[in-house]
Amino acid sequence: MKRNTILIIILLLWSLSPFLWQVYTSFSTTTSILKPFSFIEHKWTLQNYIKVIESNPPFWRYLLNSAIVGSTSTILTLFLAIPASYAISKSNNHQRKITKIFLFLTSLFPYVLLFLSLLEMARKLNIGNNLLALSIPYSALSLPLAILLLSSAFQDLPNDIEEAARIEGLGLVQRMKWILFPLIAPATASTAIIIFLFSWNEYPIALTWISKSEMITLPVAIARIAGSSVFSVPYGAYAAATVLGAVPLMIIVLLFQKQIISGLTQGAIKG
Amino acid sequence: MNILLLLPALILIFIVFVIPIVRYYWLSIHASSVMTGLIPVPNNGSNWLRILSDDRFWQDLFQTLRFTFTSVTIEILLAIVIALLLNQKFQGRGIIRAISLLPWALPTTIMALGWRWIFNTPYGPIEQIFTLLGIGTINILSNPHLAWIATVIADVWKTTPFIMIILLAGLQTIPSDLYEAFKLEGGTEIQSFFKITFPLLQPYLIISILFRIAQAFGVFDLIQVMTGGGPANSTESLGLYAYINSMRFLDFGYSATIIFLTFIILIGFCILGWLLISQSKRFLSSEI
Repeated sequence: MKRNTILIIILLLWSLSPFLWQVYTSFSTTTSILKPFSFIEHKWTLQNYIKVIESNPPFWRYLLNSAIVGSTSTILTLFLAIPASYAISKSNNHQRKITKIFLFLTSLFPYVLLFLSLLEMARKLNIGNNLLALSIPYSALSLPLAILLLSSAFQDLPNDIEEAARIEGLGLVQRMKWILFPLIAPATASTAIIIFLFSWNEYPIALTWISKSEMITLPVAIARIAGSSVFSVPYGAYAAATVLGAVPLMIIVLLFQKQIISGLTQGAIKG
Repeated sequence: MNILLLLPALILIFIVFVIPIVRYYWLSIHASSVMTGLIPVPNNGSNWLRILSDDRFWQDLFQTLRFTFTSVTIEILLAIVIALLLNQKFQGRGIIRAISLLPWALPTTIMALGWRWIFNTPYGPIEQIFTLLGIGTINILSNPHLAWIATVIADVWKTTPFIMIILLAGLQTIPSDLYEAFKLEGGTEIQSFFKITFPLLQPYLIISILFRIAQAFGVFDLIQVMTGGGPANSTESLGLYAYINSMRFLDFGYSATIIFLTFIILIGFCILGWLLISQSKRFLSSEI
């Protein structure tokens, strides 16, 4: 075998094995979990999954909550970011540079540190325990990267197309709708998926804003499970929960890998 | 007209990023805890006196720095290797890139729980293998000297793909005829890495190092789920300490002080990073 082939196999094993171990554990009976390497007497079961699905509130509820927050955050972010990016792409070089540096610095910010102040705001405005309200901080946190990505996309468009449309008498909204928006659609798709992944995975703010157990998002639900299991050994149900929580995202990544990679890389090149 | 399009986004960014920092400074010079009924009362900087002599804060700062530098260094080195590997042409490259990106895309809490199980004593695979090999158990997660290494491993697993993708983008901007010309002049593969790849990759390296230092400095999810900060607070990060102070001890004033000081320390690192960036001419001449 060539050197590269071996390296690629190691890479795949390293990337997948922690997850595969969860899958393996999740299908094992409690006694088999205690002896993971005695393959001959290994017993398989679906019991762990049944336990997770029958829990109260049911597990799909957390997936639904995360999906709701992810979608509303994505829509709200794009709604704010597209006009802002257009404005930046049309401003002069100096303003554009300053705005982009400011956005770049905010996108570096470790947002975990914002949780306390955001929690105070949520309490003051009485919007804790509200999934839709959660998309407000999520949008704010996604905006810097989203604007950086989309304004580069607008900048890359040749000016004559829009100019021609303007001469034809199309207003800004019409130009947006018929010309600009279709042209930046690929960049929009990349941005949308990255925002969605971020909102789906976000933990500290969801943890502090939402306390009702039927409203918590998936990462918080998993952390609660983790918190309650410190000393308990029957891990099978927890493994099943991590697998059920991971699978939807794995599907998203495999389906949209092109958009995700181009979004991340555009962020690095143009940011 | 243009500014009207920009304003809603900027206002939201301002509310979420700028106001909290001002608020933290303000809270840090107030007592706001259960004792005051969470109503801020000025307390003449006693939070700041307290933090200076708070051993747990300095221990957590040490731990956060140790975690940040170890994991970011390993991640960068690994990411360079993987990016070089995945930059070559071979069958199924797309799908292998996607698979290697998976760890980054999964929620941190999910895989932190998974890693906790992997390091579990005595049923996790690592301890089981050690037992089978006759080395005996090492109890990694309950050893205050070793537990942080387990968190580094989990973090490396999770975030290396992100850096790798950014470096891969950098590699793809390097024209291949550079390598061919270098080869014609008799340069070896290793020389070409240091003479061509590394210099041209520098801006991407700087961006990813800056980004990862800032993010690792705020590490929270991973530690909270994997170790809860234990054993004996040995893995507790500054973010987790701030969280514990506000949510468990209900001391918002002190929690804000921790966050504000963490932020100041981080700015120090950013300035350091900025100096690095300003040295990279290519970065400045690019079209930002």
